[in-house]
Amino acid sequence: MERTNVAEHENIRNLLEKAKEGDRPAFKAIVTLYQQKVFALAYSILRNREDAMDLVQETFLRLYQKLDAYEREKNFQAWLLQIAKNLCIDYYRKNYSKRREMESPKGLEDLNLAADDGPNNPVSSDLRQIFSRCLEKLGDRQRLIFIMKHYNGLQYQEIAQVLNISVGTVKSLHFKAVRNLRTSLSPQLRLES
Amino acid sequence: MNKCRRHRENLLAFLSGELSEAEKEKLSCHLETCARCGREISEIRETLRIADSLNPELEKGLAVVDWEAQAEKIVAAVWKEERRPRPAPNRERSWILAPRLRPILAGLLAGIMIGGLAMFMIFRESISPKKEGEKLFASGEFLDRVDVEIARRETVAYLDKSQYVLLELTQPSSEGGTFRLSEAAARETKELLSKKKLLNPQLERVRMAKAKAICDQIELLFYELGQINEDLTPAQRQEIQRMIEEKNLLLKIKLLRKELQESEV
Repeated sequence: MERTNVAEHENIRNLLEKAKEGDRPAFKAIVTLYQQKVFALAYSILRNREDAMDLVQETFLRLYQKLDAYEREKNFQAWLLQIAKNLCIDYYRKNYSKRREMESPKGLEDLNLAADDGPNNPVSSDLRQIFSRCLEKLGDRQRLIFIMKHYNGLQYQEIAQVLNISVGTVKSLHFKAVRNLRTSLSPQLRLES
Repeated sequence: MNKCRRHRENLLAFLSGELSEAEKEKLSCHLETCARCGREISEIRETLRIADSLNPELEKGLAVVDWEAQAEKIVAAVWKEERRPRPAPNRERSWILAPRLRPILAGLLAGIMIGGLAMFMIFRESISPKKEGEKLFASGEFLDRVDVEIARRETVAYLDKSQYVLLELTQPSSEGGTFRLSEAAARETKELLSKKKLLNPQLERVRMAKAKAICDQIELLFYELGQINEDLTPAQRQEIQRMIEEKNLLLKIKLLRKELQESEV
């Protein structure tokens, strides 16, 4: 996932201004640019494809309603993902807290039902599946930070803004997440070596 | 050791290129000399390589979705939701809120507030709870009425008891010997004499002259009775009975009692 640069920011600001005035193509352009990022975040929290899709729609509806509240100097991506995260957490609390205890957790690899061992993938299927399970076992904040960093391509500053915590805490939790993953993976890594 | 710990939390930022040039240089120098941190960074690289291996799958998974159609669907849903007629704010205001009437309304409101404040100041004393030790205020008229009522009740009780003793004295006797009051009547007589002393100032204060006169006559009789020994000779008893009859005491008691009961406050 590529990082946003200054030109992109400017482009987004222009799109937002137009969307505020009811420009439908401008709003669609924003949706097209960010829907996958919102989806990845929603999926990392809810781990249910349909619910994550619904949350993406809900996030953009909320964004449209809040367009007037957006401040130009704010990082748009972080602001949008913060809206998405808050909606996901509300949704999770309402619908998941009991259900999750009954179900076995799904990993990121479940996203692609047709996934197979690609010849170009240097990491074995077993290791990928184990990694995915290890990721699920991380604490909520560590998992969320890891996913935002590695699968959403967010910088520490942006993650801190989304989660409303300090950059130092984000760095520390990210480091712990990586360490915990390493510890959980080490038996499989020894086997493979 | 502490230095290593500080550097370690920056290892990930170093790998993702989020360190400043100065921090990057400092960490690079440290990595050249610290084997422990060198091992740590290679382990992190290995872990992130495995994490990155999920990226193609994730991307494949995301590629399954028709995002163009999805974006159109989202925009259509947002537009539909936003264009849905919402209950419009009630623009038709009541004529009473018309701009030209606003100064009048403001004046009225201010008047009500000032009036309310004034009422509060005036009645604050009467509505505030009485402090401990504060005397209860009651009007003189009310207290007078209380005095009259107490005197009335006391007098009725006095008359009742006196009537009981007098009736016993006037009972025709079958024996010709001495007469002795029953124990209860004798005790009552003594009590009535002392009670009359307490009743006198009450009757005088509330100006119940007629009642006082009758009570005085009864008192005199009981006083006479007290002077005599416990046993009354037939002659003494006749004398007492004569006094009762002569003064029509029983009738007077009856009438006064009736009058007092009717004049209940």
